[in-house]
Amino acid sequence: MSHIGSAEVAELIAAVARRVGEGRERLNRLDAKLGDGDHGTSISAAFALAVEQIAVLDQPEPAEIWLATAKALMNGMGGASGALFGTLFLKGVAPARGKGALTKLDVEAMWRAGLDGVKARGKAGVGDKTMVDALQPAVDAFAASDDFSGAWPAAAEAARAGAEASAAMIARQGRAKFLGERSIGHQDAGATTIALMFEAVQMWWETRE
Amino acid sequence: MSARKHKLINRPEDILGEMLEGFCAAYGDVARLTDNGLVVRAQPKAAGKVGLVIGNGSGHEPAMIGWIGEGLFDVNIAGEIFTAPGPERIVDGIRAADCGGGVLVCVSHHAGDLLNAELALELCEAEGITDVEMVVLYDDISSAPKGRESERRGTAGLFFVWKMLGAFCEGDGDLAAAKALAEKVRDNTRSLAMSLSSCASPITGEVMFEMPEDEMEIGMGLHGEMGMGRQKALGADATIDLMLPPILEDLPFAAGDEVLVLLNNSGSMTLMELFILYRRAAEALAEAGIRVYGSWIGPYATTQEMAGFALSLCRVDVEMKALWDAPANGAYMKQA
Repeated sequence: MSHIGSAEVAELIAAVARRVGEGRERLNRLDAKLGDGDHGTSISAAFALAVEQIAVLDQPEPAEIWLATAKALMNGMGGASGALFGTLFLKGVAPARGKGALTKLDVEAMWRAGLDGVKARGKAGVGDKTMVDALQPAVDAFAASDDFSGAWPAAAEAARAGAEASAAMIARQGRAKFLGERSIGHQDAGATTIALMFEAVQMWWETRE
Repeated sequence: MSARKHKLINRPEDILGEMLEGFCAAYGDVARLTDNGLVVRAQPKAAGKVGLVIGNGSGHEPAMIGWIGEGLFDVNIAGEIFTAPGPERIVDGIRAADCGGGVLVCVSHHAGDLLNAELALELCEAEGITDVEMVVLYDDISSAPKGRESERRGTAGLFFVWKMLGAFCEGDGDLAAAKALAEKVRDNTRSLAMSLSSCASPITGEVMFEMPEDEMEIGMGLHGEMGMGRQKALGADATIDLMLPPILEDLPFAAGDEVLVLLNNSGSMTLMELFILYRRAAEALAEAGIRVYGSWIGPYATTQEMAGFALSLCRVDVEMKALWDAPANGAYMKQA
């Protein structure tokens, strides 16, 4: 498959929502070490809201599905996570605008714009123990592959490795930064969510092929 | 002392709505709940004045719902527990606070509050809503060193900003002047908090952080964020003697200054303890030649049932004293 259309993009978000929902308790437990322990509850509810809001769109383009996801995350979740996960999708809307079907390069541009937006808004880079630690390698791995079939598994593997690597880092952003060295040893919940997202897309992609 | 996992709520997902309904049912003469979930003044201020709005995570009551009213804030956008509201709700709040003189969006500095306010201002710009300004406020000296004040968290000491800014915006000052006043109060305010116990999240029922029986944490944030470090719990006077000097050095407060003092109850401290703590604080301030213009002791910005307190000082001048003394009528801040 060289293109994905609206139906596939909606399936992709639904797959992410299911996987994040399954990971809810794990994400809460990780967040409890570094945050206030409700990241899994809030992000799984926000992705579920995104699926509901996508379902009522009338023949949407992929960009509108991405926008609905962004709004559900920002407004359904709130907090820093809502703003940052919302920005990841919000910034991906422009590269998709006007396109009925997306090529691998289109999707790459969407992730890249989202990544840049998250880094700018959160003022975080790789190594700060945030979602960027999974997102940056995932986007880079996605870009390094020629087609969807190579890009999705590569992104999923890179995101997983990035999330695991966050455990050894000292938090430099968000409320976890106040823990300083006490943040070492705990995997970042936001990075873990990114890893779950890309894992979900890879699993969904395998069922499509 | 330990965290209380069982709270008298109904369903976790109904906490926010039911709390706001109960609050507005009790204090309907002061505040009202709108159909879109905003807490607004029962009696809107006169046309042409600067509107004041703040969004914040809930779980810190009476902040900030208790500060809606005459001489205080116009609109509060209460988010979920410890979670800043999203940008569309903040835009709703900005619309509700607009009475023709512009709107000042106040941000108590935490990542979520700031990021969502920034997004809200971008939405305002996209929708052609002009005359909106944002001011970022902070006071907690433990959260970043001197010289990097703008990285600090907003905590209990913002109490002084809310009171004086609220009074200021009953007058004829414009939006730029309101923002400047907020920054002036902020830049004269310093706080440091401590905690003896943890608290449980009302959403998950889980303890938010572990706190050994016989220890205390100096520099605890409003959500249990870690501060300067842990040590053996001390007595009241020794605790004040540990906390007051870094506050005084930070501004610095000097002999001859006049200050307002807040001893904020984080949740389950007793008034008895707070009075004993205040006794030593007043004594130490007098020894330093600092005059106390006014004091406030009680729960203002809480963190559920956490046992702890924040000590906040605000240096005041003639303008600030007049604003402090001005009338206020919020559910949890009343002054004739």
